Amino acid sequence: MTPFGSGLRALSLATVAMLALALSLTFFYAPLDADQGFVQKIFYLHVPLAIVALLGFIAGGVFAVLHLRSGDSRWDAYSYVSIHMSVIFGVAVLVTGSIWAKASWGHWWVWDEPTLVSFLIVFLMYATYYPFRYAIEDRERQARYASVFAVTAGAFVPLNFMAVRLAESLVHPRVFATTGGGLPGEMMLTFLVSLAAMGLLWVTLVKFELTAKSASGQLKRLRRALDAPAPGGTSRVAPEVS
Amino acid sequence: MLSLTALPLAAPALPLDEAGRYVAGAYVVFLVLIVVYVAIMAAKLQRIERELRELAGFAETRAAGEQAIPGREAEDMPGIDETKPSSGPGHDLTPPGPDDGRADHVGGVNRV
Repeated sequence: MTPFGSGLRALSLATVAMLALALSLTFFYAPLDADQGFVQKIFYLHVPLAIVALLGFIAGGVFAVLHLRSGDSRWDAYSYVSIHMSVIFGVAVLVTGSIWAKASWGHWWVWDEPTLVSFLIVFLMYATYYPFRYAIEDRERQARYASVFAVTAGAFVPLNFMAVRLAESLVHPRVFATTGGGLPGEMMLTFLVSLAAMGLLWVTLVKFELTAKSASGQLKRLRRALDAPAPGGTSRVAPEVS
Repeated sequence: MLSLTALPLAAPALPLDEAGRYVAGAYVVFLVLIVVYVAIMAAKLQRIERELRELAGFAETRAAGEQAIPGREAEDMPGIDETKPSSGPGHDLTPPGPDDGRADHVGGVNRV
């Protein structure tokens, strides 16, 4: 199997270059929005983050399916890290969305807006993934139940998205309208580059975390092989369960 | 609370100086999140490096102790041949041993 860290350097460099390009396009190329003005620049950060986070949740579900089919714990690790990274991206989505809402609407949060509330529901659902997972002591059962959760929740994400699109609301900006409107060319290009940059960032961070976890696991194997004493002074929030 | 239809009407373009604060705030939040994440990962890598150093010291001490016994050569210790790793990092996701049941251990690897 390929090591987790292979290609990480090239991927990191590509991510940095793409992020720099996206920021440059956002602030020096994309025109100001006629309605929202400069505040609309948050769009190039907020929306790609949201799309990548939701796709990451779906990817977590796909990896969980592969884990359930094969029993290979590698897929479970992929699923876990995908969800973990998407939750982090989700925090950024909620915070940047709130800032945009405050700037545009004068409110940090609008409870009767389906897009906001539905994303919050998805986020909170995935926030329960951690206590759910670590409430189970047996490693095999933990991985299996977490995979079932990831598959179920992953299937909920596109359903939720479709439900929101079907719900007619005039509040949340509909830049990808099904009829008419849409983004002008410069804005669309900037958006697509931003989306690619966020996607690359997500993949890079997932690979980074998997590599770190793998290194940590290798270290444990080495310690067991050497029959070395356990390290002292490590600080962990999660308790030992077995 | 503002009604749904009134919200877009009540959302005119902000002056650049006021809008700039919000835009800067959003991008700074994103940057801070990334930096915090990288800092956490850096701390974790530091811990791994420290533990690796401890293990190297432990292995060297043990090897030196075995060499000190007359008529006995140091035995090869399994799993520490640096020139020929038994598997790549990706192979580490095998289920751990019974003494390795940490709650932060995911699929054979550790949770951050």
